[in-house]
Amino acid sequence: MEGFPVNPAWVGWGIAVYVAASLWIALLSRSGKAQNLSDYFLAKRSLGGVVAALSYGATTYSAFMLIGLAGLTYQGGVGALGFELIYLSGMVLVAFFGPRFWLVGKKFGYVTPSEMLGDRYDSKAVAVTTAVAGCLFLIPYSAVQLAGVGYLLEGMTDGAVSFTAGAVLATVLSVVLAWIAGMRSVAWTDAFQSIVMIVTATAVVLVVIEALGGFGTFFDTLEREHPAWMAVPGNGFFSFATFFGLTLPWFFFSISNPQVSQRLFMPATLREMRRMLLIFMVFGLVYTLVAILWGFSALIRFPDLPSADLATPKLLSSELVPPVLGVVVMVGILAAAISTVDSILLTLSSLFARDIYGNLRRNPDWTRQLQVGKIVIPLIAVLAYVFARLKLNLIAVLAVSSSAGLLVMVPAIFGAFFWKRGTAAGVLASVIGGGLLVLWLEWTQTKLWGQASGVWGLSISTVLFVTVSLFTRKPEHKAEQFLGYLKKSLEEKGVM
Amino acid sequence: MRNKRILAVSLVMGLILSAYWTPYTWLSQVHAWTGSFLFWVMFVLAAILLNVWITSGWRDSR
Repeated sequence: MEGFPVNPAWVGWGIAVYVAASLWIALLSRSGKAQNLSDYFLAKRSLGGVVAALSYGATTYSAFMLIGLAGLTYQGGVGALGFELIYLSGMVLVAFFGPRFWLVGKKFGYVTPSEMLGDRYDSKAVAVTTAVAGCLFLIPYSAVQLAGVGYLLEGMTDGAVSFTAGAVLATVLSVVLAWIAGMRSVAWTDAFQSIVMIVTATAVVLVVIEALGGFGTFFDTLEREHPAWMAVPGNGFFSFATFFGLTLPWFFFSISNPQVSQRLFMPATLREMRRMLLIFMVFGLVYTLVAILWGFSALIRFPDLPSADLATPKLLSSELVPPVLGVVVMVGILAAAISTVDSILLTLSSLFARDIYGNLRRNPDWTRQLQVGKIVIPLIAVLAYVFARLKLNLIAVLAVSSSAGLLVMVPAIFGAFFWKRGTAAGVLASVIGGGLLVLWLEWTQTKLWGQASGVWGLSISTVLFVTVSLFTRKPEHKAEQFLGYLKKSLEEKGVM
Repeated sequence: MRNKRILAVSLVMGLILSAYWTPYTWLSQVHAWTGSFLFWVMFVLAAILLNVWITSGWRDSR
């Protein structure tokens, strides 16, 4: 039985309610004029664990989950679960890096991860380069979200809401939510959106599985009709090389992606950070399972779709999902996309204001930097929108290559905390060399020895970081100050 | 503390490696949800427990 497009009027109402609620929460979150940059960009370094966890969840999990990941499941099977859960397990990096970022952030007043790296390696060039790399790779990532919303609304209403209308809506709302109160409005609307995301997705999956005969029948059907989807390499999609290439960049996500690593500066105390970490992991496990089960449901119901990206829109507008619930889930996906984009916009604007503008101009004061940051938010959004209009296929592939690009910062970040010998030249060589390699591999769609771009990016950047550092002079004083402080504090605070 | 850290890092690395190795070897011919699907869920639960342990000593100043 063919599905029917959802009534555009209901879609309109759903969006209207969601937009109104988000704006209201954003406005409520304001707390007077920003006194300094950490007010606006870091919510005064005073986030509680629960809001921080939910905000982390909303920022991390995007339209990719219910559209891209579901599509990957549809196409390749259980390997998609492994991929996403290996990403989640990467949060163990926060158990080590979290307190380290947090302590130096507080002590030395860092607003962005690039500022931290620039200070640690005693080099403005490091701050500028890592900030530029962040912008370069996160704008495509944002574009993917905006495109995801465009496709979703277009698919669900059979074109009544166009791709353009959807993408523009997502762009404008992301800008507004970031603009209203900086990290305050982002964190609070994130918390709201993450609850919407997880509740709506869980509800619809339970409804769909029930309609497909309950969990027992569900798994029996999968095992009987699509056995290859239950193992890896399974039907061949998730070859080991593919799996490794996909998981590697995402494993380091929590430290390589500035929109989430910046959040390590924000919790009020270590206790709140611990809460953030643990609550987020539980949230992540549930949300991941839901997205995977959703993808499998689409496989059962619509086994012969021409493209995996159609899995979600098809299933959402099918007879298995009551129309009202379908609209509600659509809003949940919208929330996932927008909460990711507004966080990225805010982080990128802080990187631009603090590390690019802040370093290239002669010491502008913080009010100027804040002004520049605010102007940059809509500018970056427009850039992302333009990229989204190029309508590149397979959402999952794009998102991954952005992550592969940021992966090249990982050696520098490890070096900052664990290797006194690291130098600014080493960082620059690793980030620029590794970054260019990833860009070239992605542009030419080359897989050297069958391995994905991220594998080579990380390998080359590690080699460059270590060798160039060994041949150049280390920032003796800064390294001593930075690492010396940490050594004492980590011991005091009971951090491993 | 240093020994604890070494232990923690070793456990983490072992766990992560198993998440790559096990499904692609032992479980690659198990076409049931009790294969890789269940394995990876258990793997994340183990990771969460590891995180609980690693962060258990964190303390803020008075």
